[in-house]
Amino acid sequence: MSELERRAFVKRVALVSAAAMAGSLAPGLVLGEEWWIAPADPDGIVWKKAPCRFCGVGCGLLIGLQNGRAVAVKGDPSSPVNRGLACVKGYHSVLALYGSDRITKAAVRRNGRMVEIPMSQALDLVAERIRETIRRHGKDSVALYGSGQWTIPAGYVAAKLFKGALGTNNLEANARLCMSSAVSGFLTTFGLDEPMGCYEDVEHADAFVLWGNNMAETHPVLFSRLLEQRDRRPAVRIVELATRTTRTSYAADRSLIFVPQTDLAVANAICHEIVHRNWVNRDFVARHVAFKKGKTDIGYGLQDDFHFSEEAEDATWEEYVRFLDDYSPERVARISGLSASEIRWLASLYGDPSRKVMSLWCMGINQHTRGTWANNLIYNIHLLVGKVASPGNSPFSLTGQPSACGTVREVGTLTHRLPKGAVTDPDARRLAAEIWKVPVENIPSRPTWHAVEMFRAFDRGEIKFLWIQGTNPMVTLPHLSRYRRAAAKADRFLVVSDVYPTPTTDVADVVLPSALWIEQEGLFGNSERRTQHFEQMLTPPGEAMSDAWQLIEVARRLGFGHLFPWNYETHVAKIWEEYTRFHDTPEHRMAPLEELKRRPGVIWPYVNGRETKWRYNTRYDPAADPRYGEFDFYGHPDHRAWIWLRPYEPPPEVPDEEYPFWLSTGRVLEHWHTGSLTRRIPVLHRAVPRAYAELHPEDAEQLGVKDGDFVRLVTRRGSLVIQARVDYRARPARGQVFVPFFDESLPINQLTLDAYCPISGQPDYKKCAVRVERMGSFRLP
Amino acid sequence: MRRRTASDTIARALGIGAVTVLMATLVAGVGRVVAEREAEKESRLGPIPERGRGSRAERPVAVEAGVFRMKRSDLAVPWEQPLSPAAEPRRLALYRALRAYPGAPPRIPHGLTADEFRLTLCHSCHVRGGYVARFGKYAPLTPHPEYRDCLSCHVPDGSKVGIGFPNPANPAVCSQCHPAPDVRPREFAPIDWRPAPWPGIGQRALAEAPPLIPHDLESRNNCLACHGGPGAVQEIRTSHPERANCLQCHVRAPLEAGEFRRP
Repeated sequence: MSELERRAFVKRVALVSAAAMAGSLAPGLVLGEEWWIAPADPDGIVWKKAPCRFCGVGCGLLIGLQNGRAVAVKGDPSSPVNRGLACVKGYHSVLALYGSDRITKAAVRRNGRMVEIPMSQALDLVAERIRETIRRHGKDSVALYGSGQWTIPAGYVAAKLFKGALGTNNLEANARLCMSSAVSGFLTTFGLDEPMGCYEDVEHADAFVLWGNNMAETHPVLFSRLLEQRDRRPAVRIVELATRTTRTSYAADRSLIFVPQTDLAVANAICHEIVHRNWVNRDFVARHVAFKKGKTDIGYGLQDDFHFSEEAEDATWEEYVRFLDDYSPERVARISGLSASEIRWLASLYGDPSRKVMSLWCMGINQHTRGTWANNLIYNIHLLVGKVASPGNSPFSLTGQPSACGTVREVGTLTHRLPKGAVTDPDARRLAAEIWKVPVENIPSRPTWHAVEMFRAFDRGEIKFLWIQGTNPMVTLPHLSRYRRAAAKADRFLVVSDVYPTPTTDVADVVLPSALWIEQEGLFGNSERRTQHFEQMLTPPGEAMSDAWQLIEVARRLGFGHLFPWNYETHVAKIWEEYTRFHDTPEHRMAPLEELKRRPGVIWPYVNGRETKWRYNTRYDPAADPRYGEFDFYGHPDHRAWIWLRPYEPPPEVPDEEYPFWLSTGRVLEHWHTGSLTRRIPVLHRAVPRAYAELHPEDAEQLGVKDGDFVRLVTRRGSLVIQARVDYRARPARGQVFVPFFDESLPINQLTLDAYCPISGQPDYKKCAVRVERMGSFRLP
Repeated sequence: MRRRTASDTIARALGIGAVTVLMATLVAGVGRVVAEREAEKESRLGPIPERGRGSRAERPVAVEAGVFRMKRSDLAVPWEQPLSPAAEPRRLALYRALRAYPGAPPRIPHGLTADEFRLTLCHSCHVRGGYVARFGKYAPLTPHPEYRDCLSCHVPDGSKVGIGFPNPANPAVCSQCHPAPDVRPREFAPIDWRPAPWPGIGQRALAEAPPLIPHDLESRNNCLACHGGPGAVQEIRTSHPERANCLQCHVRAPLEAGEFRRP
């Protein structure tokens, strides 16, 4: 017996004997039967840190481990993100590791049936297929579709394999569906991606304006920080702009319900009011802002092979003021459903120089056929009043996946990106070729297809081989019926790496078992530029393997072993070392791995041992040059942030006589994305077992529908029978229907429209026209 | 009772020596935890009431903040109030059944009307406590009334709220829309979940000694919320809620410190 074991033994014995003695010495003592349960051995539970693997808030969790299994979860009190709190998904996250239908073995489709095969054979088959498809159809006939749930190493290996080794830009990720408008918003306004501020802004801001974001359900732990601030500081106000009355509305001090798509006009009206009330921070605008015009009437990407390229044109302050003439509060009141006085009041929140304002948004702004513009317009407001890049003055774009920022955006697993810069930029290609040790000609200079177009190309047959890792597009793609049919076509080959069976694995030709979360070592990056490391805590079940290692195994089989020479034990450290060379400048330097292992995440840029909490601000950001004044927006060559003249344009499909309702989709607190993890957690599944269609009570009454009745929703693309709920959790505005998208058996995306923002390629899941048909009551046989 | 026999044997063999070792362990363990927690500069709890010194409210140390607050609000039923004869006392078995593992936020065992799906309405029962005729039980008090978004951690059981199908037991209803009978299972897919073991209650170093605290104090440092008053779980209700400084007698159960040894 080792010394440690002996001590543990003595201690256990002491506990048990103490319990026994007390029982026998005081027989009269009334004690529950629990008395005789042996005390848990506290030594047996080891707590290790990991970021939560659900939303983009990136809460620090402590995972309780015992006998090789995860047995409990605590919020990590030392994490500055959540300070010991988690939400119900985080607290129950570890249960998702133990669903009895985990995919533990590889399988291949033979004569229409899935047959289990050894993992090594499956990887051989995948590599052989890639080789063969490229030989017959060229490099751009193979594609990889990844995920904002990829670890940073997985995304990095994917980019290196596809862009560096195979030489195709056919690399996309599901984050295209959730935050690419945020990316193009940042790039057009600031020239660099990701927020300038951080969550600490919450403790400094006096007003929070939520733009179409049901934060109480979608980012609950961060929302709790807002609520806490309001409790502590009576002057704090939470204001919401929304199309639905939700739990967030109940918490907000004021909830303003606007007509879908008119957020563009409302933002411009706020700017109109700021200009005409003389609330413009003239010094800030003169020193730090430039004005730009882009193209207008830019389309909706509904037709295949739609192409769009933005061109920035210089504009002047006078032009901008003239542009705003169309957006007086009175005029915007006529289309937006807000009153002119409500718009003026909103503008006064931003305009009041004594008030620090934080704007927060997520899918309402990003999943928008003018998503890039909507992002630009919120920045316009902040730039006009100079409320940006300083503590509490913060336009803040939230994300919905644990590493949409860390992996997809920072590593650049999108068709047009490289780990640093765009594929169209020769310098970016040169840097990538040098670090990857591949010939620069290997890296193609032209982007191919973004997510929606990639699946259209798969449908058309230009892409023959598609590998999907860690995401479930057969539930999440808009206008789903088209893409479900594509996968079944004869000469298409679909490989899916996942942890549970989903509608996507259902249509796969090869299914590979993936390691989940803490079954691998990895890193995630959250919405506030915080990179978080987690070690491998558990052994993956069966032959399950991390997505990163699957890619490495296939790369080796394709003859690229020399580019991926790492062993399993150290590959994450080696990848981190190589990857961070891309970002080795004060604008984006990342913390060394040792530091990340020690701390509950580190915000980049990490320069001289310090996090940069506010970028572009010369007081906090070592990359910002004080010669430009208090701020240096170094993302653009003119060192200025750009205010864009972005007009209101209508959505592609609006309610009409035949389809009289708006259809919007989204999430509920209990489920995350397509529910493939959260629905396997009993407490979450029982809380919301099925999707439902939310109706306004007056609409329901008019239709003759009662709460709990079934309705048929019909759009131009499909129909769905679903239970109607009236005032169950939230209430859409009149003339609107809301359906959560987590339920694979009620796939609302069969009905949604695959229109997207032409600049970002991100689809709009929030607006299309739908008819609601009453099903009548069921007769029991 | 196999366990009991075994423990008796071991108790005789090791006797008081082991108990002494245990007590030393406690002291070392608790000291270390407190030191660690004090190192946390940031806490999410509300401000300490101002006492006229300085104008800025400091963030309290998370694990210490609640211990004297006895956050049973002025509205809460008095702890000495006897159980209503009509009431069914809260029992440990249910307390555990509502939690996925020790320390997990409990799910909500009752339905919620649309009105109750509002922030802070939870507080009208779970801050005040007291007998609720609708359920024939006492409402448990929340140990952390400073959190307002209750439903971000505590979720109801949908089957009791009426989400789902009108008659899940009758496949014929389902088959009218779904080609194959699709009866909602209790779980989406079966799960092999083995939670951390529940700590034994009543752990003591000596007979009649004050029992140890077998759980974390994070978010649960407001002892009386759970251990005092008629709403407390019967098996863990204190007999002496009037003694305000719980931690002077009850200390955290041993963690990983091992026994004391001179350096």
